[in-house]
Amino acid sequence: MIPRREFLRASAVAGGSVLGACALDAVPKGRTPVSLWFSYGGTNREVLESLVQRFNRGQTRDFVQAVYQGDYFEGLAKLRTAIAARCAPVLSHVVSEVIPYLAEAGVLEPLADYPGLRELDLIPELGQERTWASGGARPLCALPFNRSTPIAYLNGDLFAQAGLDAPRDWDELRAVAKRLTERKAGGRFGFGCPINWWFWVALVGQAGGSIVAANGRVSLGDEAGVRALRLWQELVRGGLMKLPPGRDYNAWEQCNQDFLSGRAAMIWSSTAFLKYLEAHARFRLIAAPLPAGVKRAVPTGGTFWVVLRSAPSAEKAAAVRFLRFMHEPEQVITWSTRTGYIPVTHGAVRALEQRGYYAAHPNDRVALEQLSVAEPWPWSVDLFRIQREIVQPRLESAVIQQRDASAILTEARALALEPA
Amino acid sequence: MKPSRPGDPYWMLLPTLLLLFVFFVFPLGMLIEHSLFSWDLLTPARYVGLGNYRSLLHSGELWQTFSTTLSMSTVVVLGSMAAGLGLALLLDRPGRWAAFVRSAVFSAYVVSWVSVGLLFLWLLDADSGIFAGVWRTFSNGRAPQWLADPALAPWAVAAVTIWKITGYALVIFLSGLQDVPPTILEAAELDGASPRQRFASVTWPLLRPTTLFVATTSLIASFQLFDVVRVMTQGGPVRSTTVFVYAIYEQLFLDLRVGRASAEAVVFFAILLLLTGAQFVLFRNPEGL
Amino acid sequence: MRPRPALSGWFRQGALCAVALVWLFPYLWMGLTSLKPLAEIISAPTALWPKQPTLDAYREVFRSLPLARYFFNTSVMALGIAALQITLALPAGYALAKLRFRGKRWAFGVIVATLLVPAQVRFVPVFSLLASVGLVNTLSGLILPFGVSALGTFLVRQALLSVPDAQIEAARIDGASELYIVYRLLAPLLKPTLISLFLFSFVSHWNDYFWPLVLTTDEHARTLPLAIALLREQGTGVRWHLVMAGNVILSLPALAVFAAAQRHLLRAINVRGFGG
Repeated sequence: MIPRREFLRASAVAGGSVLGACALDAVPKGRTPVSLWFSYGGTNREVLESLVQRFNRGQTRDFVQAVYQGDYFEGLAKLRTAIAARCAPVLSHVVSEVIPYLAEAGVLEPLADYPGLRELDLIPELGQERTWASGGARPLCALPFNRSTPIAYLNGDLFAQAGLDAPRDWDELRAVAKRLTERKAGGRFGFGCPINWWFWVALVGQAGGSIVAANGRVSLGDEAGVRALRLWQELVRGGLMKLPPGRDYNAWEQCNQDFLSGRAAMIWSSTAFLKYLEAHARFRLIAAPLPAGVKRAVPTGGTFWVVLRSAPSAEKAAAVRFLRFMHEPEQVITWSTRTGYIPVTHGAVRALEQRGYYAAHPNDRVALEQLSVAEPWPWSVDLFRIQREIVQPRLESAVIQQRDASAILTEARALALEPA
Repeated sequence: MKPSRPGDPYWMLLPTLLLLFVFFVFPLGMLIEHSLFSWDLLTPARYVGLGNYRSLLHSGELWQTFSTTLSMSTVVVLGSMAAGLGLALLLDRPGRWAAFVRSAVFSAYVVSWVSVGLLFLWLLDADSGIFAGVWRTFSNGRAPQWLADPALAPWAVAAVTIWKITGYALVIFLSGLQDVPPTILEAAELDGASPRQRFASVTWPLLRPTTLFVATTSLIASFQLFDVVRVMTQGGPVRSTTVFVYAIYEQLFLDLRVGRASAEAVVFFAILLLLTGAQFVLFRNPEGL
Repeated sequence: MRPRPALSGWFRQGALCAVALVWLFPYLWMGLTSLKPLAEIISAPTALWPKQPTLDAYREVFRSLPLARYFFNTSVMALGIAALQITLALPAGYALAKLRFRGKRWAFGVIVATLLVPAQVRFVPVFSLLASVGLVNTLSGLILPFGVSALGTFLVRQALLSVPDAQIEAARIDGASELYIVYRLLAPLLKPTLISLFLFSFVSHWNDYFWPLVLTTDEHARTLPLAIALLREQGTGVRWHLVMAGNVILSLPALAVFAAAQRHLLRAINVRGFGG
């Protein structure tokens, strides 16, 4: 395996020199290389690359080479294929839903015994400990990177005009949406939300249910799941909620555009978009926590760092050193203040408080405070597949085509029981 | 001609066939093998025999993908051929203006699918796209959600595809028109035939082999639509634009089901093989059908 | 010239204008959007002309991506593919056109059948294969899988069918080897066809996104379409002006090649009938 890696690297360098690539990104002599595969474009990529550069310049032992691999799904597919073909990188980041699957497949390096990782003072809801049910009991295999929760964004001007506050429960949500919807063709909607699993899970929690029952059965919330879906259907039928087109991240982008252009007075989206929305809103932007159903609940989202077991030990140790660097308060602060993701360590949060950051940016505090009602994900190997294949298309179909919520979820539950 | 040495044809074809074997035949073989297993690339594969095929069939997925692909392809092929023929008739004339317009139409063929997809995503936006703006000036009310409505999305994607590939049909029909002997058309004109009659009884029959060629090759190409769907609708809404190659991509990349994706790919290959077989049968007999 | 169905002059002119508009308007839109500042795009998306035209988007694109490297990679890759395809299409087309041998039908069939297996479907086995011989992230890995062009082989064959056998027989009698005949005698005769094929192949591989995406895991080997994809964000809002500027940059070379050599490009896809 090591000879092959050398061969691969040799041909990559040879190929690179044939292609006339400059030596800018070549690993300086004597340093341990750390190949990092990431899945961000745009601003997030720039921030990540600047942090990588900061690391590379600040020490002479290791050298991180960060390479973009496509979006989350393309990157994940390439990662798996590379693992199967035995040319995987040493470090990458993946969405939280996929971690149980990768961990159980045995491809992730256990991290607990590496120096310094247990003392990282991570916020437990954002780290492995509370992101998954009984996450703390399992071997540590993932460290939080960009973590988020869903939050509500309000058009402050419209709300002030109508004399309204952020809705605190579902009834208020319905009322506010109704007040702010203009009843004319081409008029503004009171509410907008991507029809996405993540937000549905939030609603299920708020309705008092959970996706996977305590005994491991994939219940999809049972009654609570149906109620959650029916809320959306009701809002759409009543003309109060705008449906963005497209799937996955296209829908989220569209939802943001609707909000910025005033076509929706209030949207649910991710805390990750906070900086972007603040920069482009021509009205006062208010971030607010999601309302309660019978209780408040939000899932967490975003990605975790993982170290691949198949890499050579020296590289894995170097990768861990990079991860420790990334979790130092300065880096966590840079990352979260420039992108809007939640800072993942207590130290960073304290530092930001002291600098008066949250006093100056109250919107940033919303997601952080919402962590107190964050619900853990089940540690389920199949959840990723069930979500994408079975549940997500049915959510879309139920809302867009107004199919019966109860029937569709029963169907989904039956399908989830079938073996892969 | 007889080869000057008996081994000649074989080594002449060797590099070609070797590359094809390595990059097409061998992967196809692997696909067939993979389709008999349930595998996610990381954990050991589990043998399921024809289970993947059964599952594809029973879940109705295969049929839905096939009918979506077939209906979109049919619209794309008919649309681009009709537009191509119409434009060929219109643009089959000398002059810089006609040449410019010909190039404009064909240039869409040269630009990347990703660029075209992104561009039309923006243009077709039901709120901020230019088409919606035009719609609103002529009618009161909301513009149709071209890409968000399951009933409209496939046709919107088909329209974008037609825009991009009409140039192909145009060029082929143009050369077909060049082959219509002017003397026959002149004779018909002298006999008093109207332009429409001349077209119907002289031009159209002579164009038949061309038409057939364009139809079959366009059908094969449009069955393999992928980038435009990936960029514009990601197979949605509610799977209304999930064409074959996109469905396979989804199974492989997003759902992590190598076995099932391979089964779907094998079925896809078989269907295309049938289509190509049909083409060869038709071409044996270009004069009649 | 030739008689043609008579349309009234005005109608025809109008139709030509409409057609030109339909096919050129999207580019116009792309270009104009790339000149608008992002704030303007968000606030007035349907406005045609930029109120404050700016080249900021282009500056940003050039700043944030090593475009020169990607440009170089893409050019070399596309040129390499086109060159390899011609090199292989010549002998193969010659064998299929001129020589009688057993298995000709099969060879023909296999070549056609490969049109039916798109890249998305072949990805996993091919990636594993290339990884096992260390060709991921290399030029060869990007070029070899496309070394054969079914279209090119048929084009060559088609063109060679009209070369009289007598010419080849004569060359053989003179002692020329088959290799000489193919590359030194026949290839020059086929120059227009080969140029068309070259250009067509170059342009279509210039634009390829999927294969370079999945086959390169390293910056050094990346191509331009991938770079443009980098501009499209995921997780934060879309910066449309950058996306459009990137697409203009991506499309310009292909359009330039096309403009310079339209005649040949059009001829490349102008083959009718595989059979007969």
